[in-house]
Amino acid sequence: MKNRFKFRHAFLIFMVACIVSSINGSHSARALGAAPRYFAITNARIFTGSGAVISSGTVVVAKGLILAVGENVAIPPEAWVIDGKGLTVYPGLIDAGTDLGLPKEEPAESATAGRGRRRAVPSGEIAKGPEDRPGTTPWRVAADEFKTDDKRIETWRNGGFTTALTMPDGGIFPGQATVVDLAGDRQGDYIVKAVATLPISFRPVGNFWAFPDSLMGSIAYIRQVFDDSNWYEQAEPIYAANSTKFERLPYDRTEQLISRELHDKETILLPANNSVQILRALRLADEWKINAVIYGGQQGYVVADAIAAKKTPVLVNLKWPERAKDADPEADQTLRELRFRDRAPSSPAALAKSGVKFAFYSGGLSGPKDILKNARKAIAAGLSPDAALRAFTADSAEILGVSDRMGSIAPGKIANLVVTDGDIFGEKTKVKHVFVDGRWFEIHEEPAAEKPGDHKTDEPPGSPKDMTGGEGVGR
Amino acid sequence: MSRVISLKSPSFQLIAFCLALSLAFPLWSQPAATVYAIKGAKVYTLAGPAIENGTVVIRDGKIAAVGANIEIPPDAQVIDAAGLEVYPGMFDPVTQIGLNEVGAVSATVDARELGEFNPELIAATAVNPASAHIPVTRASGITEVLAVPGIGGFDSEGGGVITGQASAFNLAGWTMEEMQINRQVAMVINWPSIETRSFDFSTFSFKEKPYAEAKKEYDKSVNELSDWIVRARHYAQAKEKGSPDLFLRDLKLEALVPAVEGKLPVLVVADQARDIRNAVDFCAKQNLKMILASGSESWKVKDLLKEKKIPVILGPTERLPEKQDTPYDKPMTQPAELNAAGIPFAFSSFGTSFSRRLSQYAGTAVGYGLPHDEALKAVMLNAAQIFGLADQLGTLEPGKLANIIVTNGDPLEIQTQVRYLFIKGQLTSTDNRHRDLYEQYRKRPAPTR
Repeated sequence: MKNRFKFRHAFLIFMVACIVSSINGSHSARALGAAPRYFAITNARIFTGSGAVISSGTVVVAKGLILAVGENVAIPPEAWVIDGKGLTVYPGLIDAGTDLGLPKEEPAESATAGRGRRRAVPSGEIAKGPEDRPGTTPWRVAADEFKTDDKRIETWRNGGFTTALTMPDGGIFPGQATVVDLAGDRQGDYIVKAVATLPISFRPVGNFWAFPDSLMGSIAYIRQVFDDSNWYEQAEPIYAANSTKFERLPYDRTEQLISRELHDKETILLPANNSVQILRALRLADEWKINAVIYGGQQGYVVADAIAAKKTPVLVNLKWPERAKDADPEADQTLRELRFRDRAPSSPAALAKSGVKFAFYSGGLSGPKDILKNARKAIAAGLSPDAALRAFTADSAEILGVSDRMGSIAPGKIANLVVTDGDIFGEKTKVKHVFVDGRWFEIHEEPAAEKPGDHKTDEPPGSPKDMTGGEGVGR
Repeated sequence: MSRVISLKSPSFQLIAFCLALSLAFPLWSQPAATVYAIKGAKVYTLAGPAIENGTVVIRDGKIAAVGANIEIPPDAQVIDAAGLEVYPGMFDPVTQIGLNEVGAVSATVDARELGEFNPELIAATAVNPASAHIPVTRASGITEVLAVPGIGGFDSEGGGVITGQASAFNLAGWTMEEMQINRQVAMVINWPSIETRSFDFSTFSFKEKPYAEAKKEYDKSVNELSDWIVRARHYAQAKEKGSPDLFLRDLKLEALVPAVEGKLPVLVVADQARDIRNAVDFCAKQNLKMILASGSESWKVKDLLKEKKIPVILGPTERLPEKQDTPYDKPMTQPAELNAAGIPFAFSSFGTSFSRRLSQYAGTAVGYGLPHDEALKAVMLNAAQIFGLADQLGTLEPGKLANIIVTNGDPLEIQTQVRYLFIKGQLTSTDNRHRDLYEQYRKRPAPTR
């Protein structure tokens, strides 16, 4: 009876999974009783990301982590063996700047920051000065707002991305960005590092009616917030020790949070795409004494040496500038625009040459196909494929502060892997398997769009993989 | 025909006397003479080679004689212009003089009407003869201008598609009836542009819209314009054939009739090459007699302008190029290019307070390759020819209106001064607000230390 129930339950899940997978074209294993938690990919070429390439070796995955990697590795008896002949294993790719899982519309600003000298002004209200904390919600954490039903999560994963930095948007201090793995049963499973980094925007939020309504206004405002936070850090312990002598400190949520950020030397993301913006960001990072990471970086080809001199890491936006699709066909394209469009993809090569640590992010690209296509442009412009891979893996993990757990294939690292049938940057290369936290996803090609009605898959009928389906291996 | 005060009538002499008193111009301390002889000057007639030691005789507002050995009539007031040069007065063909006094004070601006299609408007009805810009402008040697409604310029405002009719008038007189040369010189069309970039006042920033959307708006404007032309044609036909029904008079359509019949030129404002091409195609299809105004990218469509015989009224040469990658000197070299291509053109200020700079605009073009004699024509003669006023203006020939300047040198040279100014044969004051202010502040006491 009990068994029967269990079977029915599993069967239901299986059916649902089949439907889901038939919609999205991705098959993978699902908890069918004792679903595998141990895997071994054998006879595969392995880019470990932390040593020489293993031309034919084995990666063993056990309970979400990498157990072993090498040429002669013992395969645990319980492991589900995947023959990796002709396949290449890479560390899972990291997209270092997305809004995956975050609702598009701005969340209603309900939080108030006390009734003190300063208060947070909900967007839409008129801020008269920095004391009104316009566009400032650093207490928001992307992890808290992360929605697992974002269709793009699967799109990214099927393209080989196992991890992403997801950033809240809206305002000058929109909130904390979170490192997420792109699979899980529940929201909590996705979160790798909830408070990973603090993105800042220089975009004025005043909309002509309120403070700040100019670039100089928003920069002055950010400076004020850092000053206030530094003041708070000093004042708070003094008050705590002398609460009978001094007037009580007004409560300010922003100061509390930012002062902790500054104290802990958390990374702060500064926006800077062109050379002027980059130089300005470097100067501001010095002035504000923050642990800055630049995001944008597309004109790095002009100022790579200046960035290298400051040892500031860069998140490079792979959405290379291009002509708007709905642009006036006869409108003149200025030499400046054409030059920028032509040279932007050479920025990663220039950064690599100068010794700048950088990672790639999709910055609004529609999916992994475009991300890898644009990475190929960077390679065509002189970036070595190895460096490009690092910008998606090890270097990215390091900049995001998760290199202890991901970015390479080594024992003890999170089992985030992408298995392809060729070079990851090859145009024809297909992703065959993806492991996220040891969850196995077998990737099937989507039906060719140009031949609607032809739904044949590559998989020979009756293969064991047809029997499995669903979104991932349970724990 | 409007009422004209006879030059010999007592009323004219009274007016002239009052004018003389009010302006306190030394030569006008007696009632003005109606016959003048300018002698001993180098005379640039623009109708032939310059005449050394020539004489120009002016009688009753017109040029009576020009030449080297002209007998000076006994009743003439003689002006000894030895060492000076005589030219036809300059003609600024696109201005808002008299329509726009102080751009920032809306009560003094009467340059456009609401609505997109206003062919029945005639600029002359709105020109203020007492505008302070008139004496300032004529002191620089400009003797006649067109007032053009609805054209946006350097210091003026624009708007609408058919904005009204331009009027030609002399820069001296008490009333428009006295000043006007021709009330209806051209129908003015602001050619619609396909503009993907627009300014959004709610965010105070530029917004981009999709090309398809901008194109749709453009098509709508052009279709509307097309409808107006077609309706005017039907109107003309119905009127000519005399419909048995009671004919409903439509002033807008009636005003358009001369334009659609090709009797009145259309002055089409367009700058971008695409807009110029579209406008030329449109006018060719609709059989309109087109004059291109502004035309900052005329250099890109020289062949088309040449083929379709479209004259161009060029805007100021002293401006920045339109686009980032346009050569920096294109506004200055373009006149020479058009001249070499055989396209008739005239310079214009497209302004009000800066109309006085007209000669500088031409002078700059000379510095960038335009032959000097062509530059003179482009500020004195060509506009008159383009607008069909060359029977009255543009050269120093007997029978033409005596709009004449006597200078101490090349009028295209910035330091040159106008010594004598004749408008409609009257010696006219060069006093103006600029000179008043100069005198006023020149007299201020030196600071004591």
